[in-house]
Amino acid sequence: MPREAEPSLNERQFVLQALQDSIRLDGRELDQYRPLELTFGDQYGVADVTLGKTRVLAKASAELTVPYADRPLDGIFNIATELSPMTSPAFEVNRPTETEVLISRLLEKTVRRSGALDTESLCLVAGQKCWSIRVDVHVLSHDGNLIDAACFAVVAALRHFRKPDTSMEGGVLTVYTPAEREPVPLSWLHSPFCVTWSFFGEEGDIALLDATWMEEQVRSGSCTISLNKHGEICQIAKLGGVPVEAVSLLQCTNVALIKAKDMSSKLDKWLAEDAKRRDKGGLLAELSAENDRVPDI
Amino acid sequence: MPLDTSTYGLALLRVDGRRWNELRRIYAQIRTQAAADGSSYLEMGHTKVMCVVTGPSEPGPRRGAGISSAGGAGGGGGGAGGQSKDAEVVVNIVIAGFSSVDRKRRGRSDKRTLEMQSTLANTLAATLHTHLFPHSQITISLHVLSQDGSLLAALINAATLACVDAGIPMTDYVTACTAGSTSTYAANDEGADPLLDLNHQEEQELPGLTVATLGESDRVVALVCESRVQISRLEGMLAVGVDGCKQVREILDQVIKAQGQKMILEGTVDKGTGLNDMDLD
Repeated sequence: MPREAEPSLNERQFVLQALQDSIRLDGRELDQYRPLELTFGDQYGVADVTLGKTRVLAKASAELTVPYADRPLDGIFNIATELSPMTSPAFEVNRPTETEVLISRLLEKTVRRSGALDTESLCLVAGQKCWSIRVDVHVLSHDGNLIDAACFAVVAALRHFRKPDTSMEGGVLTVYTPAEREPVPLSWLHSPFCVTWSFFGEEGDIALLDATWMEEQVRSGSCTISLNKHGEICQIAKLGGVPVEAVSLLQCTNVALIKAKDMSSKLDKWLAEDAKRRDKGGLLAELSAENDRVPDI
Repeated sequence: MPLDTSTYGLALLRVDGRRWNELRRIYAQIRTQAAADGSSYLEMGHTKVMCVVTGPSEPGPRRGAGISSAGGAGGGGGGAGGQSKDAEVVVNIVIAGFSSVDRKRRGRSDKRTLEMQSTLANTLAATLHTHLFPHSQITISLHVLSQDGSLLAALINAATLACVDAGIPMTDYVTACTAGSTSTYAANDEGADPLLDLNHQEEQELPGLTVATLGESDRVVALVCESRVQISRLEGMLAVGVDGCKQVREILDQVIKAQGQKMILEGTVDKGTGLNDMDLD
C-alpha cells in the first residue's frame, strides 16, 4: 500500500514556527475558513462543495424497499463514504483506512443519530414498504478538513433532494413520476454542521479552524464539534491527541456555534437561490408552446 | 424500557440509588496475567474489562484489522509499522458476545469498535513516551466481559493500569469517566443537574459524554459526546466529568501503590531508596 508522503522536517518546522507567531501559510486568520462554495447539480440531491482546494461531492438517492424487521415503522437512511485512490494513492478501493472509518462514523453520528432526518416519515406501509434514502459521499480532492466539507455536502444534498410523491388509496400504493406530480422534499428536522479545530504544539495551546492538508499532517490533535443553529451539540469527538485545557475546549465550542450559524445561513441562501432558479412556473410553463428563441431583427 | 427519571426531582436519587456526583464502585487489579508484560482487570459498576499489554516489542507483520497511532503525531494515525521513530500503539478490542443483555455478534470490522480502538491508541499515545522506543510496537489487547455503560471510560482506565504494570514510561495517568445531564435535549429547564458516571440505562436515555484527562490537571485528552445536548449544558457536564476523572485517578493510584507494597513485602522487587518513608505495615 503506497503511503502518503510526509512533510519534511524543514516544512514541519516552518509551519509550526509560523503558527507560533499566529501566521498561517495561506495568510488566513486562525479562525477563518477558506472560501466555501456550493454548486447544485442538474438533478435534485447533488451537492458539490469546495472548501479551498478540498472538493467533496454528495449525491442523495431514494429507492423503495422493505423496512428492517426490528424497525417496521422506520425508513432506512444510510450514508456511504468513499475515499477513492483518485484523491490520494494512500486510499484503496474496498479497504477502508482509519480516516475513512472515522469520517463515516462522524457523519453518521452528526446527521443520522442526531435525528436530522425524520426516518418515520419515510415509512409508507408499516413493515412492508418504505423509502431507503442513501447519500453517497465522494471525495474528489483532498486538501484538509474533509469532515467539515463532507458534512456540509451531505446536509446540502439531503435538503436539496426531492423524492417522488406517493399516495395510498384503498390499500394501493402509487408512486408518481416527476411529470405526474412534483417530487416532495424530505422531512428535515434540523441541520447540523461539523466544525473541526486543530491543535498544535506540545501544550495544544494553538487552535485553528479549517486546517489544510499540510497543517493536518503536522497537527498534534483535533476536535470535531457538530452543532446546529439552535445551539444544540449533536456530537463532539476529540479522539485522543494532545491534552487541551477544558476551558479552551468550551471556548472552541462557542466559536464553533458562530461558524455553524454562519454555514447554516449560507446554505439557506444557496438553497433559496437554487429554488428560484428552478422555479419556471410549474407544469403550465413547461407545457407552453412558445420557445425562448429570440427573433432575428 | 424507558428510564423513569420522574422521581429524581423528589429524592435526588438516581435509578441505582446514587446521588448526582457519586461514582459507581471501582474495583481494579493489576498484574493479573503472570506471563504478560502488563495486565489489569477493572470493574466500574457492572462494566468489566480485562487488559493485556505486550511490548514495547519488535513490530510483527502488519494486520489490516488493528488500528494504530504513529506515536505522538496523534492526528495522523496509521503510521508505518517499524519505520517510524516513535513506538506505535496498536489497540485491539474484543467485545464478548455475552457481555450485554442481548447477545449480539460483532465483527472485527464494526465501525464503532474501530473508532474506539483508534481513540484509545491516540489517547494513550498522548501520555506514553513513545519516542523512547523507536521501531517498535506496543500492543494493547482489551477484552470486554460485561457492559453496563461508560465502556470507553473503563477501557481507558484499564489500559492505563496495564501500561503502568508493563513499566512503559508515561507522563501521568490518563483517567476517564462519563458525565451526563438530567434534562433531555429538547427540554430547556434550568433545574437540570449534571450526573457523574452513567450506567447503561442512563446512557441510553440521557445526554452524556466521556471525558479523559491527564493526571491531576484539567487538561482533556479525549472528549466524546454522542448525544444531542444544549450547548449550555456542556460546561456543567464537562466540569463534573473532569472532577470525576480526578476521583478515578486517586482510586487507580491506590491500586498501583497497594500492588507495589505487596510486591516489596513479598520480596519480588527490592525496596527502592525513595521508598523509605512509605508505610509498609
